[in-house]
Amino acid sequence: MNYGSIKVFTNTSLTTAMIVPVIVGGLFGPLPAACAAGIGNVIADLIGGWGFWFDWSIGNACLGLFVGALPLYGAYIEDGIFDVKHMIIYAILCVVGCGISFGLVTPLFTVLFYGGELSITLIQSAVSSVSNIIVLLVIGIPVLKVLANRNKRGQNLKAE
Amino acid sequence: MNNFIINLVPGETFLHKLSGTTKVRLFFVLVIYLVMTFDLRLTLPVFILSIIGLISLKPKFKSFSYIIGFVVIMNLVNIILYFLANPHTGSAYINSETVLFQLNSYFVFTAETLWYLGCRFFKMITTFLVSLTFILSITPSEFAAGLYACHVPYKVCTIVEMAFRYIPDIARDYKNIQISMQARGVELDPKKAGLFSRVKQNIMILIPLIITSFDRIGNISNAMDLRGFGKGKKRSYYSEHEETPNDKKVKIVYCVLAVFVVAYVIGRAVFHIPQIWYPF
Repeated sequence: MNYGSIKVFTNTSLTTAMIVPVIVGGLFGPLPAACAAGIGNVIADLIGGWGFWFDWSIGNACLGLFVGALPLYGAYIEDGIFDVKHMIIYAILCVVGCGISFGLVTPLFTVLFYGGELSITLIQSAVSSVSNIIVLLVIGIPVLKVLANRNKRGQNLKAE
Repeated sequence: MNNFIINLVPGETFLHKLSGTTKVRLFFVLVIYLVMTFDLRLTLPVFILSIIGLISLKPKFKSFSYIIGFVVIMNLVNIILYFLANPHTGSAYINSETVLFQLNSYFVFTAETLWYLGCRFFKMITTFLVSLTFILSITPSEFAAGLYACHVPYKVCTIVEMAFRYIPDIARDYKNIQISMQARGVELDPKKAGLFSRVKQNIMILIPLIITSFDRIGNISNAMDLRGFGKGKKRSYYSEHEETPNDKKVKIVYCVLAVFVVAYVIGRAVFHIPQIWYPF
C-alpha cells in the first residue's frame, strides 16, 4: 500500500494503510490494532526507503489504540453489528485519536529521539491528521459496513 | 511487484551466510547510528559499505531498479517540500546564515539550508540502502530468530516474521484482483481514468483484498493454535545456526560500533557536539 500512495507533504502521504488497524481492531480489539499499526509502520519504513521515524511508529500505534477500540463500544464486526451510533462514536474517536497521537505523542517522542526542531513535525502532524481522518472516515466506514454486512449473513442461525 | 525483494531461501554469499542474530543486531546498530546523526563524515562510510554489501549479494538489479528510482524521486520531493515549508531550517542546526540568492522575502536560498537538506537526502538514501541490503540478505524466519536473540518476545517475532513473509503474497493478490477487475471493465489506466475515479476503483480492489487476507489470517492462526503455538515460554528457531568464524568477526564490528554510538550520543548530550558537520 506504500507504493500506491499520494504525496501530501514532506514524508507524509495519503495511503490506505491506516485501514488495516481499523479492521484488525474491529475483529480482535484495540491492542492487536496498536500492534498492527506500530509494527506495520516500522515495516513500511523498512521497505519504503524514507528512513526510520520511530516517533511516528509510536504515534501510529497510539492511533491504532483509538481506532481499534470498536469492540469496546459494542461494534462487533465479526457478528455484523455496526450501526449509525457506532459510526458516530468511531468518527469522534478517529478525530480525538489523531489529535492526541499526532499532536501530543509524536512530538513528544520527536523531542526525545531526534531532539528539537518541532516546526516541521507539527506541520506534518497537522497534515497527516487531516489526511488520516479523511482516509479513516471516507474509506474506513464503508469498508467496515461492507465487512459487517458480509458477516451478518451468517448470523441467522440459532442454537436449539 | 511480484517476489522482488523478500527472499525465502537463504543465499550463498558472505552476508547471506551470517546467522540471523548477527544480521539483525548489525542492522539495529546501523539504524541507530544513522538515526542519531546528520554528519556527512559519519554517513559516508556507511553509504560506501552498504553499496559494497549490496553488490556482494549479487542481486538481480533489474527487479528492484524501479524501487530505487521511486525512493530517489520520493526523497527529492520530500526535500523540496521540506524547503518550501521552512527555507531557514539549516540555520536551526548551524548557527550562521549565508544568503546565496533570494527570490523574494520568503524564498531565501541559504548555504546552510542547502547543505542541511543535502545531508538529509544523503542520510535517507543511506538508510534505504542499508535496509535494502538487510532485506535482501535475510529470510523471514532468520529475521524472527534474530529478533528473538535480541530478547523480543517470540510472539512479536512471529508477527513480524509473518507480516514480512506475506508482503509478496499480498502484492500478488492485489495484482490478481486488479487484473480481474480490469477484465470486468474497471478502468485503472492513469491515462484514461481521472485521479478521483482511480482512487474510488482502488477502494473496490481493497475490499476483496482485505477479505481474502483476513480469511487467510484466520486459517493460519487456527492452524497455529492447533499446533499449540504460544503455550511454551521459550522458542527455538530452525533457521538459527551456530556462530561461524565470520559471525564472530562481524560481532566485533557491531560491538565496537555500538560502543561508538553510545559514546557519541552521550558526548553530544554532554559536550554539545553539533548534529551536523559544516565545513565552510
